[in-house]
Amino acid sequence: MPHKCTKCGREYKDGSTEILRGCASCGGKKFLYVKEEEINKDVLEEKSIEEIADESHEEVLEVVEPTVSKKREVEMYDRVETIRIVSPGSYELNLEKMAKSDERIVSVGKEGSYIIDLMSMAKEEPKKKRAKKR
Amino acid sequence: MKIFLQTFGTAKKKFSNFLNSFFKKKRTRIGIYGPPNAGKTTLANRIARDWTGDAIGPVSEIPHETRRARKKEDIIISGANGSTVTMDIVDTPGVTTKIDYHEFLEFGMEKDEAIIRAREATEGVAEAMHWLREDIDGVIYMLDSTLDPFMQVNIMMIGIIESRNLPVIIVANKIDLPDAAPARIRSAFPQHPVVAISGLEGRNVEDLYETMLEYFG
Repeated sequence: MPHKCTKCGREYKDGSTEILRGCASCGGKKFLYVKEEEINKDVLEEKSIEEIADESHEEVLEVVEPTVSKKREVEMYDRVETIRIVSPGSYELNLEKMAKSDERIVSVGKEGSYIIDLMSMAKEEPKKKRAKKR
Repeated sequence: MKIFLQTFGTAKKKFSNFLNSFFKKKRTRIGIYGPPNAGKTTLANRIARDWTGDAIGPVSEIPHETRRARKKEDIIISGANGSTVTMDIVDTPGVTTKIDYHEFLEFGMEKDEAIIRAREATEGVAEAMHWLREDIDGVIYMLDSTLDPFMQVNIMMIGIIESRNLPVIIVANKIDLPDAAPARIRSAFPQHPVVAISGLEGRNVEDLYETMLEYFG
């Protein structure tokens, strides 16, 4: 079944991925499923899409903006790496993470490339060792 | 006499249940470890489905699909001789020493998404190692039997697991593929039991369950 924008009534074909970015004409984010044979019902009967929605009891589809890629640059405290090699000979140290644990993750370049020191992660926490000795 | 034995049997069972409720043995917690894409989640799903009817998590051909450890509790596995063991299965993110988002781009992933996946996968490795340090009583170490078992990460992980004195079963997975060579894995780790299976098709998993009973029970 095709969709119709609830704001301006623009039609979209069944299975159209265009609507995921919002209506191309008015930028509307809400769409209604309309039966093929009733596609022009709103114009013929001079009703708004909302009224049609009430009549057909179809659920209005709301497109939600993807929020994942909004936060591009990750803050220092949020980073996973302890050491970042910005370029050869240039390093950034994540002191907060270094203070918290012995885990060493090295990030190479800008973002998304990591070298993980598994041995550093296999070590027992120093606090626990002391507790065991007692 | 027969009736007496029957009632005695039920009474004994009731009594042992009663005792168990007081002296409940800590459940064995088994971690499924291994490099990315070895089939850890596929096996975890199979174990969960075979013994509880549920699933643990989604699988994908793109490495690092599992980026958080997932736990399924109270899985009761019973063997051919009637012995049972109750365990929690922890499906862990793939452990590796290098993660690069470029690897995910080859699967058609967007750059932003790939960078986030790389970061989450890195956190996942840290989480998997954390579980190994604190909460795991036994390890199923999964290997893709079409690949070389002598990768640095495998040697290192088996070493770490041995140093913690944890019982380990090595699973040579993907024997349904034509170039699978489980014998190579057997000769690489002669000190541990190796079970060759196909997690996808379920081939030989009964053998794995029997081995689990033997080593984790």
